[in-house]
Amino acid sequence: MPRVTLETLPDYARFLITAAEGAAGQFPVQRTVRLPGLELVAHLDRGALADALGQAFIEAKGDPRDSRQCRIFIGHPGIDGMPEPASWGDAHFTEHGFAQKLAEAGLRGHHFHDLDFWQIYDPERRVGVQLMRSADAFPPWEPGAPLRAFLHWEYAARGMRLTHAGTLGLDGKGVLLAGAGGAGKSGTVVAGLLNGLDSVGDDYVLIDLDDGVRARPLFSTLKQDPKGFARLGLEGRLGPARPLNWQGKRVFHINEIAPRPVRASLDIFALMVPHVGDSKTSSIVPISRKDAMIALAPSGIAQMPGERESGFRFFSDLTRFLPCYRLSLGTGPNEIAGAVRDFLARGA
Amino acid sequence: MMRPAAAGLNCSGVKNMPLSDVYAVASKDIVFESFDGEAVVLDLSNGKYFGFSDSGSKVWQALSSGVGTEALIQSAAGAAAIDAAALEAFIAQLVELGLLAPSSATPLPSSDDLPAALAAASEPLNVSVHDDLADLIIVDPIHEVEEPLGWPAVKQVS
Repeated sequence: MPRVTLETLPDYARFLITAAEGAAGQFPVQRTVRLPGLELVAHLDRGALADALGQAFIEAKGDPRDSRQCRIFIGHPGIDGMPEPASWGDAHFTEHGFAQKLAEAGLRGHHFHDLDFWQIYDPERRVGVQLMRSADAFPPWEPGAPLRAFLHWEYAARGMRLTHAGTLGLDGKGVLLAGAGGAGKSGTVVAGLLNGLDSVGDDYVLIDLDDGVRARPLFSTLKQDPKGFARLGLEGRLGPARPLNWQGKRVFHINEIAPRPVRASLDIFALMVPHVGDSKTSSIVPISRKDAMIALAPSGIAQMPGERESGFRFFSDLTRFLPCYRLSLGTGPNEIAGAVRDFLARGA
Repeated sequence: MMRPAAAGLNCSGVKNMPLSDVYAVASKDIVFESFDGEAVVLDLSNGKYFGFSDSGSKVWQALSSGVGTEALIQSAAGAAAIDAAALEAFIAQLVELGLLAPSSATPLPSSDDLPAALAAASEPLNVSVHDDLADLIIVDPIHEVEEPLGWPAVKQVS
Protein backbone atom coordinates (compact mmCIF):
# COMPACT_ATOMS: atom_id res chain seq x y z
CA MET A 1 0.00 0.00 0.00
CA PRO A 2 1.53 3.35 -1.01
CA ARG A 3 2.01 5.91 1.70
CA VAL A 4 1.75 9.65 1.55
CA THR A 5 4.16 11.92 3.37
CA LEU A 6 3.93 15.64 3.93
CA GLU A 7 6.48 16.00 1.14
CA THR A 8 4.45 14.08 -1.43
CA LEU A 9 1.02 15.27 -0.25
CA PRO A 10 0.48 17.96 -2.92
CA ASP A 11 1.46 15.52 -5.70
CA TYR A 12 -0.86 12.88 -4.29
CA ALA A 13 -3.68 15.39 -4.05
CA ARG A 14 -3.27 16.42 -7.69
CA PHE A 15 -2.99 12.78 -8.71
CA LEU A 16 -6.37 12.07 -7.09
CA ILE A 17 -8.03 14.96 -8.88
CA THR A 18 -6.56 13.90 -12.22
CA ALA A 19 -7.61 10.28 -11.66
CA ALA A 20 -11.16 11.26 -10.74
CA GLU A 21 -11.59 13.56 -13.71
CA GLY A 22 -10.24 10.83 -15.96
CA ALA A 23 -12.79 8.40 -14.57
CA ALA A 24 -15.69 10.87 -14.76
CA GLY A 25 -17.70 8.70 -17.14
CA GLN A 26 -17.51 5.69 -14.84
CA PHE A 27 -19.46 7.07 -11.86
CA PRO A 28 -22.94 5.47 -11.85
CA VAL A 29 -24.82 8.39 -10.27
CA GLN A 30 -24.84 12.14 -10.73
CA ARG A 31 -26.60 14.39 -8.23
CA THR A 32 -27.01 18.16 -8.53
CA VAL A 33 -27.69 20.19 -5.41
CA ARG A 34 -28.52 23.89 -5.63
CA LEU A 35 -27.19 25.84 -2.66
CA PRO A 36 -26.77 29.58 -2.08
CA GLY A 37 -24.62 30.84 -4.96
CA LEU A 38 -23.46 27.33 -5.74
CA GLU A 39 -24.51 24.43 -7.92
CA LEU A 40 -22.85 21.34 -6.52
CA VAL A 41 -22.59 18.46 -8.97
CA ALA A 42 -21.61 15.21 -7.30
CA HIS A 43 -20.48 12.11 -9.20
CA LEU A 44 -20.73 8.99 -7.06
CA ASP A 45 -21.87 5.42 -6.60
CA ARG A 46 -25.30 4.22 -5.53
CA GLY A 47 -25.85 3.80 -1.82
CA ALA A 48 -26.09 5.68 1.44
CA LEU A 49 -24.20 8.77 0.31
CA ALA A 50 -26.30 9.15 -2.82
CA ASP A 51 -29.40 8.86 -0.63
CA ALA A 52 -27.96 11.41 1.82
CA LEU A 53 -27.32 13.92 -0.97
CA GLY A 54 -31.00 13.71 -1.81
CA GLN A 55 -32.16 14.28 1.77
CA ALA A 56 -29.65 16.29 3.77
CA PHE A 57 -29.75 19.66 2.00
CA ILE A 58 -32.12 22.59 1.91
CA GLU A 59 -31.98 23.55 -1.73
CA ALA A 60 -31.81 27.22 -2.70
CA LYS A 61 -34.51 28.70 -4.89
CA GLY A 62 -32.62 31.82 -5.94
CA ASP A 63 -31.55 32.88 -9.39
CA PRO A 64 -29.25 30.13 -10.73
CA ARG A 65 -27.48 32.70 -12.94
CA ASP A 66 -25.71 33.93 -9.79
CA SER A 67 -24.42 30.44 -9.11
CA ARG A 68 -21.01 28.98 -9.63
CA GLN A 69 -20.64 25.27 -10.22
CA CYS A 70 -18.36 22.89 -8.39
CA ARG A 71 -17.83 19.23 -9.19
CA ILE A 72 -17.12 16.63 -6.53
CA PHE A 73 -16.15 13.05 -7.35
CA ILE A 74 -16.97 10.61 -4.57
CA GLY A 75 -15.04 7.52 -5.52
CA HIS A 76 -13.59 4.22 -4.45
CA PRO A 77 -11.51 1.53 -6.19
CA GLY A 78 -14.67 -0.26 -7.30
CA ILE A 79 -15.19 2.48 -9.86
CA ASP A 80 -13.03 1.98 -12.96
CA GLY A 81 -10.06 4.33 -12.99
CA MET A 82 -10.21 5.19 -9.28
CA PRO A 83 -7.14 4.18 -7.26
CA GLU A 84 -6.88 2.48 -3.89
CA PRO A 85 -6.63 5.17 -1.22
CA ALA A 86 -3.13 5.56 0.15
CA SER A 87 -2.27 5.57 3.83
CA TRP A 88 -0.51 8.30 5.72
CA GLY A 89 3.17 7.43 5.91
CA ASP A 90 4.68 10.24 7.90
CA ALA A 91 5.56 9.89 11.55
CA HIS A 92 4.05 13.23 12.36
CA PHE A 93 0.63 14.44 11.39
CA THR A 94 -0.91 17.70 12.43
CA GLU A 95 -4.13 19.05 11.01
CA HIS A 96 -2.57 22.46 10.64
CA GLY A 97 0.63 21.22 8.97
CA PHE A 98 -1.40 19.06 6.58
CA ALA A 99 -3.66 21.96 5.64
CA GLN A 100 -0.76 24.37 5.28
CA LYS A 101 1.15 22.07 2.96
CA LEU A 102 -1.85 21.77 0.67
CA ALA A 103 -2.62 25.48 0.87
CA GLU A 104 0.90 26.27 -0.37
CA ALA A 105 -0.02 24.27 -3.47
CA GLY A 106 -3.37 26.05 -3.85
CA LEU A 107 -5.31 23.06 -2.58
CA ARG A 108 -7.44 22.11 0.41
CA GLY A 109 -7.77 18.73 2.00
CA HIS A 110 -8.61 16.45 4.85
CA HIS A 111 -7.54 12.93 5.77
CA PHE A 112 -9.25 10.58 8.22
CA HIS A 113 -6.62 8.01 9.13
CA ASP A 114 -8.83 5.22 10.41
CA LEU A 115 -10.49 4.73 7.03
CA ASP A 116 -7.83 6.06 4.64
CA PHE A 117 -10.51 8.58 3.76
CA TRP A 118 -9.33 11.49 1.63
CA GLN A 119 -11.00 14.74 0.67
CA ILE A 120 -9.12 17.04 -1.71
CA TYR A 121 -10.37 20.27 -3.27
CA ASP A 122 -8.96 22.66 -5.84
CA PRO A 123 -10.77 25.95 -5.11
CA GLU A 124 -9.49 27.62 -8.26
CA ARG A 125 -10.96 24.99 -10.58
CA ARG A 126 -13.78 24.06 -8.16
CA VAL A 127 -13.09 20.36 -8.48
CA GLY A 128 -12.90 17.97 -5.56
CA VAL A 129 -12.37 14.30 -4.81
CA GLN A 130 -13.53 12.19 -1.92
CA LEU A 131 -11.73 8.86 -2.06
CA MET A 132 -12.77 5.94 0.12
CA ARG A 133 -11.78 2.28 0.42
CA SER A 134 -15.29 1.25 -0.69
CA ALA A 135 -18.69 2.79 -1.37
CA ASP A 136 -19.65 2.76 2.30
CA ALA A 137 -16.25 3.41 3.91
CA PHE A 138 -17.01 6.93 5.11
CA PRO A 139 -16.94 8.36 8.64
CA PRO A 140 -20.28 7.90 10.39
CA TRP A 141 -20.93 11.65 10.58
CA GLU A 142 -20.72 12.11 6.81
CA PRO A 143 -24.38 11.42 5.85
CA GLY A 144 -25.74 14.01 8.30
CA ALA A 145 -23.90 16.87 6.60
CA PRO A 146 -22.45 15.35 3.43
CA LEU A 147 -19.54 17.05 1.68
CA ARG A 148 -19.45 19.76 4.32
CA ALA A 149 -15.64 20.07 4.03
CA PHE A 150 -15.95 20.90 0.32
CA LEU A 151 -18.64 23.47 1.02
CA HIS A 152 -16.44 24.92 3.76
CA TRP A 153 -13.52 25.30 1.36
CA GLU A 154 -15.59 26.67 -1.51
CA TYR A 155 -17.46 29.24 0.57
CA ALA A 156 -14.32 30.24 2.52
CA ALA A 157 -12.61 31.01 -0.79
CA ARG A 158 -15.47 33.45 -1.44
CA GLY A 159 -15.29 35.17 1.95
CA MET A 160 -18.25 33.31 3.46
CA ARG A 161 -18.22 30.72 6.21
CA LEU A 162 -19.87 27.50 7.22
CA THR A 163 -20.58 28.24 10.85
CA HIS A 164 -21.20 25.75 13.61
CA ALA A 165 -24.25 27.46 15.10
CA GLY A 166 -28.00 27.21 15.31
CA THR A 167 -30.47 29.89 14.24
CA LEU A 168 -33.89 31.11 15.26
CA GLY A 169 -35.81 33.93 13.63
CA LEU A 170 -38.98 35.93 13.37
CA ASP A 171 -40.07 38.02 10.40
CA GLY A 172 -36.71 37.63 8.69
CA LYS A 173 -34.59 38.75 11.67
CA GLY A 174 -32.75 36.22 13.72
CA VAL A 175 -30.24 35.22 16.34
CA LEU A 176 -27.23 32.98 16.02
CA LEU A 177 -26.93 30.34 18.76
CA ALA A 178 -23.32 29.43 19.39
CA GLY A 179 -21.56 26.96 21.63
CA ALA A 180 -20.04 23.56 21.88
CA GLY A 181 -22.12 20.38 21.88
CA GLY A 182 -24.25 19.85 24.98
CA ALA A 183 -24.83 23.55 25.61
CA GLY A 184 -28.49 23.32 24.62
CA LYS A 185 -28.20 24.82 21.15
CA SER A 186 -30.06 22.12 19.22
CA GLY A 187 -32.80 21.74 21.80
CA THR A 188 -33.39 25.50 21.66
CA VAL A 189 -33.65 25.45 17.86
CA VAL A 190 -36.17 22.58 17.94
CA ALA A 191 -38.20 24.21 20.73
CA GLY A 192 -38.34 27.42 18.69
CA LEU A 193 -39.45 25.64 15.51
CA LEU A 194 -42.17 23.76 17.40
CA ASN A 195 -43.42 27.10 18.72
CA GLY A 196 -43.70 28.87 15.39
CA LEU A 197 -40.26 30.45 14.99
CA ASP A 198 -38.16 30.15 11.85
CA SER A 199 -34.72 28.62 11.52
CA VAL A 200 -32.27 28.32 8.66
CA GLY A 201 -30.51 25.44 10.32
CA ASP A 202 -28.85 23.91 13.28
CA ASP A 203 -25.26 22.67 13.48
CA TYR A 204 -24.06 24.31 10.25
CA VAL A 205 -25.33 27.44 8.55
CA LEU A 206 -23.74 29.62 5.89
CA ILE A 207 -22.84 33.13 7.05
CA ASP A 208 -21.82 36.13 5.01
CA LEU A 209 -20.86 39.57 6.29
CA ASP A 210 -21.49 41.54 3.09
CA ASP A 211 -24.30 43.66 4.51
CA GLY A 212 -24.50 42.99 8.21
CA VAL A 213 -24.61 39.33 9.25
CA ARG A 214 -26.76 37.07 7.09
CA ALA A 215 -27.37 33.37 7.70
CA ARG A 216 -28.50 31.01 4.94
CA PRO A 217 -29.58 27.38 5.10
CA LEU A 218 -27.52 24.48 3.80
CA PHE A 219 -28.38 21.32 5.72
CA SER A 220 -31.82 20.18 6.76
CA THR A 221 -30.67 17.70 9.40
CA LEU A 222 -31.67 18.08 13.04
CA LYS A 223 -30.66 15.74 15.86
CA GLN A 224 -31.78 15.03 19.39
CA ASP A 225 -30.76 12.38 21.87
CA PRO A 226 -33.67 10.13 22.94
CA LYS A 227 -34.18 12.10 26.16
CA GLY A 228 -34.39 15.43 24.34
CA PHE A 229 -36.53 13.83 21.60
CA ALA A 230 -39.06 12.79 24.25
CA ARG A 231 -38.82 16.02 26.27
CA LEU A 232 -39.60 18.08 23.17
CA GLY A 233 -42.65 15.95 22.38
CA LEU A 234 -41.15 14.67 19.13
CA GLU A 235 -42.11 11.04 19.76
CA GLY A 236 -45.76 11.98 19.41
CA ARG A 237 -45.14 14.13 16.37
CA LEU A 238 -42.61 12.06 14.42
CA GLY A 239 -43.06 8.62 15.96
CA PRO A 240 -40.60 6.86 18.25
CA ALA A 241 -39.13 4.63 15.57
CA ARG A 242 -36.44 6.98 14.29
CA PRO A 243 -33.16 5.05 14.18
CA LEU A 244 -30.26 6.27 16.26
CA ASN A 245 -27.26 7.71 14.47
CA TRP A 246 -23.59 7.16 15.36
CA GLN A 247 -23.90 9.57 18.30
CA GLY A 248 -26.94 7.76 19.67
CA LYS A 249 -29.18 10.59 18.48
CA ARG A 250 -32.42 10.52 16.54
CA VAL A 251 -32.18 12.27 13.19
CA PHE A 252 -35.00 14.20 11.54
CA HIS A 253 -35.37 17.08 9.14
CA ILE A 254 -36.28 20.70 9.58
CA ASN A 255 -39.24 20.57 7.21
CA GLU A 256 -40.84 17.90 9.41
CA ILE A 257 -41.31 20.36 12.26
CA ALA A 258 -40.96 23.86 10.78
CA PRO A 259 -44.12 25.98 10.84
CA ARG A 260 -43.56 27.13 7.24
CA PRO A 261 -41.04 26.60 4.43
CA VAL A 262 -37.48 27.45 5.41
CA ARG A 263 -36.60 31.05 4.57
CA ALA A 264 -33.80 31.82 2.12
CA SER A 265 -31.97 33.80 4.81
CA LEU A 266 -32.16 35.47 8.20
CA ASP A 267 -30.64 38.84 9.03
CA ILE A 268 -28.78 38.10 12.25
CA PHE A 269 -28.94 40.87 14.85
CA ALA A 270 -27.58 39.12 17.95
CA LEU A 271 -25.20 36.37 18.97
CA MET A 272 -26.56 34.21 21.75
CA VAL A 273 -24.69 31.64 23.82
CA PRO A 274 -27.09 29.12 25.38
CA HIS A 275 -26.25 27.17 28.46
CA VAL A 276 -28.25 24.93 30.73
CA GLY A 277 -29.35 27.17 33.59
CA ASP A 278 -30.40 26.36 37.13
CA SER A 279 -33.70 28.19 37.07
CA LYS A 280 -37.13 27.15 35.79
CA THR A 281 -37.35 30.28 33.69
CA SER A 282 -35.02 31.38 30.92
CA SER A 283 -33.04 34.60 31.02
CA ILE A 284 -31.10 36.55 28.42
CA VAL A 285 -28.31 38.82 29.67
CA PRO A 286 -25.44 40.60 27.88
CA ILE A 287 -22.01 38.96 27.88
CA SER A 288 -18.65 40.20 26.68
CA ARG A 289 -17.73 39.79 23.04
CA LYS A 290 -14.61 37.96 24.19
CA ASP A 291 -16.71 35.28 25.89
CA ALA A 292 -19.05 35.06 22.91
CA MET A 293 -16.11 34.68 20.53
CA ILE A 294 -14.70 31.84 22.62
CA ALA A 295 -18.10 30.13 22.51
CA LEU A 296 -18.51 30.62 18.77
CA ALA A 297 -15.13 30.15 17.14
CA PRO A 298 -13.46 27.01 18.55
CA SER A 299 -16.05 24.46 17.45
CA GLY A 300 -16.49 26.12 14.07
CA ILE A 301 -12.78 26.08 13.40
CA ALA A 302 -12.03 22.68 14.95
CA GLN A 303 -14.74 20.91 12.96
CA MET A 304 -13.65 22.35 9.64
CA PRO A 305 -10.33 21.34 8.12
CA GLY A 306 -7.98 24.13 7.13
CA GLU A 307 -8.66 27.86 6.77
CA ARG A 308 -7.96 28.35 10.48
CA GLU A 309 -6.66 31.87 10.41
CA SER A 310 -9.29 33.08 7.95
CA GLY A 311 -11.91 31.49 10.21
CA PHE A 312 -10.50 33.22 13.28
CA ARG A 313 -10.61 36.58 11.49
CA PHE A 314 -14.10 35.93 10.09
CA PHE A 315 -15.58 34.95 13.45
CA SER A 316 -13.86 37.94 15.07
CA ASP A 317 -15.50 40.29 12.57
CA LEU A 318 -18.85 38.56 13.04
CA THR A 319 -18.62 38.88 16.83
CA ARG A 320 -17.74 42.57 16.63
CA PHE A 321 -20.79 43.17 14.41
CA LEU A 322 -23.27 41.84 16.96
CA PRO A 323 -24.40 42.41 20.52
CA CYS A 324 -23.78 39.24 22.50
CA TYR A 325 -25.95 37.54 25.12
CA ARG A 326 -26.00 34.51 27.36
CA LEU A 327 -29.24 32.54 27.16
CA SER A 328 -29.71 30.65 30.42
CA LEU A 329 -32.15 27.91 29.54
CA GLY A 330 -35.16 27.22 31.71
CA THR A 331 -36.61 23.77 32.07
CA GLY A 332 -39.56 23.85 29.65
CA PRO A 333 -39.19 23.92 25.85
CA ASN A 334 -42.24 26.16 25.44
CA GLU A 335 -40.96 28.63 28.03
CA ILE A 336 -37.52 28.71 26.34
CA ALA A 337 -39.11 29.33 22.97
CA GLY A 338 -41.26 32.09 24.50
CA ALA A 339 -38.18 33.84 25.92
CA VAL A 340 -36.45 33.74 22.55
CA ARG A 341 -39.62 34.86 20.76
CA ASP A 342 -39.95 37.88 23.07
CA PHE A 343 -36.31 38.74 22.45
CA LEU A 344 -36.77 38.41 18.68
CA ALA A 345 -39.94 40.49 18.76
CA ARG A 346 -38.10 43.29 20.56
CA GLY A 347 -35.23 43.17 18.08
CA ALA A 348 -37.10 42.41 14.85
CA MET B 1 -13.92 23.65 29.08
CA MET B 2 -12.03 26.60 30.46
CA ARG B 3 -9.15 26.09 32.82
CA PRO B 4 -6.76 28.55 34.43
CA ALA B 5 -3.52 28.67 32.52
CA ALA B 6 -1.40 28.11 35.60
CA ALA B 7 -2.85 24.64 36.16
CA GLY B 8 -0.33 22.88 33.97
CA LEU B 9 2.69 24.95 34.78
CA ASN B 10 5.69 24.37 36.92
CA CYS B 11 5.12 27.49 38.96
CA SER B 12 8.45 27.56 40.74
CA GLY B 13 10.30 27.13 37.47
CA VAL B 14 8.25 29.84 35.84
CA LYS B 15 8.81 32.29 38.66
CA ASN B 16 12.57 31.74 38.65
CA MET B 17 12.91 32.29 34.92
CA PRO B 18 14.80 35.54 34.26
CA LEU B 19 12.79 37.99 32.23
CA SER B 20 13.95 39.18 28.84
CA ASP B 21 14.27 42.89 28.10
CA VAL B 22 11.70 42.56 25.36
CA TYR B 23 9.40 39.92 23.89
CA ALA B 24 7.75 39.17 20.59
CA VAL B 25 4.85 36.96 19.55
CA ALA B 26 6.35 33.47 19.66
CA SER B 27 5.55 32.41 16.08
CA LYS B 28 3.45 33.25 13.06
CA ASP B 29 0.98 30.64 14.28
CA ILE B 30 0.02 32.86 17.21
CA VAL B 31 -2.80 35.13 16.05
CA PHE B 32 -4.93 37.44 18.14
CA GLU B 33 -7.87 39.80 18.07
CA SER B 34 -9.24 42.32 20.52
CA PHE B 35 -12.87 42.61 21.57
CA ASP B 36 -13.75 45.82 23.40
CA GLY B 37 -10.21 45.83 24.77
CA GLU B 38 -10.13 42.13 25.73
CA ALA B 39 -7.74 39.87 23.87
CA VAL B 40 -8.42 36.41 22.44
CA VAL B 41 -5.39 34.52 21.15
CA LEU B 42 -5.43 31.40 18.96
CA ASP B 43 -2.48 29.09 18.45
CA LEU B 44 -3.10 27.93 14.89
CA SER B 45 -0.70 25.03 15.25
CA ASN B 46 -2.82 23.19 17.82
CA GLY B 47 -6.21 24.93 17.97
CA LYS B 48 -5.84 26.21 21.55
CA TYR B 49 -7.59 29.43 22.50
CA PHE B 50 -6.52 31.86 25.22
CA GLY B 51 -8.82 34.44 26.78
CA PHE B 52 -7.30 37.34 28.70
CA SER B 53 -8.69 39.35 31.61
CA ASP B 54 -8.80 43.11 31.16
CA SER B 55 -5.42 43.69 32.87
CA GLY B 56 -3.96 40.66 31.10
CA SER B 57 -5.15 42.04 27.77
CA LYS B 58 -3.32 45.32 28.34
CA VAL B 59 -0.13 43.46 29.23
CA TRP B 60 -0.49 41.17 26.21
CA GLN B 61 -1.06 44.09 23.87
CA ALA B 62 2.00 45.93 25.21
CA LEU B 63 4.38 42.96 25.15
CA SER B 64 3.20 41.59 21.80
CA SER B 65 3.81 45.00 20.22
CA GLY B 66 7.40 45.19 21.54
CA VAL B 67 7.08 47.36 24.64
CA GLY B 68 10.09 46.69 26.87
CA THR B 69 9.61 44.67 30.03
CA GLU B 70 11.07 47.36 32.27
CA ALA B 71 8.88 50.04 30.73
CA LEU B 72 5.84 47.82 31.26
CA ILE B 73 6.70 47.15 34.90
CA GLN B 74 7.08 50.88 35.51
CA SER B 75 3.78 51.58 33.74
CA ALA B 76 2.05 49.07 36.00
CA ALA B 77 3.44 50.55 39.21
CA GLY B 78 0.26 52.48 39.97
CA ALA B 79 -2.20 49.73 39.00
CA ALA B 80 -4.12 48.33 41.95
CA ALA B 81 -4.95 45.08 40.14
CA ILE B 82 -1.33 44.32 39.27
CA ASP B 83 1.59 43.84 41.63
CA ALA B 84 5.13 43.49 40.34
CA ALA B 85 5.63 39.86 41.31
CA ALA B 86 2.35 38.86 39.70
CA LEU B 87 3.31 40.72 36.54
CA GLU B 88 6.65 38.94 36.31
CA ALA B 89 4.99 35.57 36.86
CA PHE B 90 2.36 36.42 34.25
CA ILE B 91 4.99 37.29 31.64
CA ALA B 92 6.81 34.05 32.37
CA GLN B 93 3.51 32.21 32.03
CA LEU B 94 2.91 33.66 28.56
CA VAL B 95 6.35 32.40 27.55
CA GLU B 96 5.62 28.98 29.04
CA LEU B 97 2.37 28.79 27.10
CA GLY B 98 4.27 29.42 23.87
CA LEU B 99 2.59 32.76 23.19
CA LEU B 100 5.61 35.02 23.68
CA ALA B 101 9.32 34.47 23.14
CA PRO B 102 12.34 36.58 24.13
CA SER B 103 13.33 38.95 21.35
CA SER B 104 16.53 40.69 20.37
CA ALA B 105 14.66 43.75 19.11
CA THR B 106 15.15 47.14 20.69
CA PRO B 107 12.57 47.54 23.49
CA LEU B 108 9.92 50.13 22.70
CA PRO B 109 8.79 52.65 25.31
CA SER B 110 5.29 52.21 26.66
CA SER B 111 2.58 54.44 25.26
CA ASP B 112 1.58 57.52 27.24
CA ASP B 113 -1.80 56.07 28.05
CA LEU B 114 -0.65 52.61 29.19
CA PRO B 115 -0.27 53.53 32.92
CA ALA B 116 -3.83 54.86 32.98
CA ALA B 117 -5.13 51.84 31.08
CA LEU B 118 -3.45 49.45 33.51
CA ALA B 119 -4.69 51.48 36.49
CA ALA B 120 -8.25 51.29 35.13
CA ALA B 121 -8.18 47.49 34.90
CA SER B 122 -10.34 45.83 37.52
CA GLU B 123 -9.52 42.14 37.04
CA PRO B 124 -6.31 40.45 38.17
CA LEU B 125 -3.80 39.26 35.60
CA ASN B 126 -5.19 36.10 34.08
CA VAL B 127 -5.17 34.04 30.92
CA SER B 128 -7.55 31.11 30.56
CA VAL B 129 -6.86 28.21 28.21
CA HIS B 130 -9.65 26.73 26.10
CA ASP B 131 -8.30 23.49 24.74
CA ASP B 132 -11.17 21.03 24.80
CA LEU B 133 -11.49 21.32 21.03
CA ALA B 134 -7.77 21.55 20.33
CA ASP B 135 -6.26 19.03 17.94
CA LEU B 136 -6.38 15.49 19.22
CA ILE B 137 -3.95 14.08 16.69
CA ILE B 138 -0.52 15.63 17.01
CA VAL B 139 1.45 12.46 16.39
CA ASP B 140 0.24 9.37 14.63
CA PRO B 141 1.61 6.61 16.87
CA ILE B 142 0.85 3.88 14.34
CA HIS B 143 3.47 5.23 11.99
CA GLU B 144 5.88 6.58 14.57
CA VAL B 145 8.19 3.58 14.48
CA GLU B 146 8.09 2.89 10.74
CA GLU B 147 10.18 4.33 8.00
CA PRO B 148 7.74 6.04 5.64
CA LEU B 149 7.57 4.31 2.31
CA GLY B 150 6.49 7.44 0.53
CA TRP B 151 4.26 8.09 -2.40
CA PRO B 152 3.88 7.84 -5.33
CA ALA B 153 4.61 4.83 -7.40
CA VAL B 154 2.98 6.68 -10.30
CA LYS B 155 4.38 9.71 -12.07
CA GLN B 156 4.85 12.97 -10.22
CA VAL B 157 2.89 15.96 -11.33
CA SER B 158 5.26 18.83 -12.02
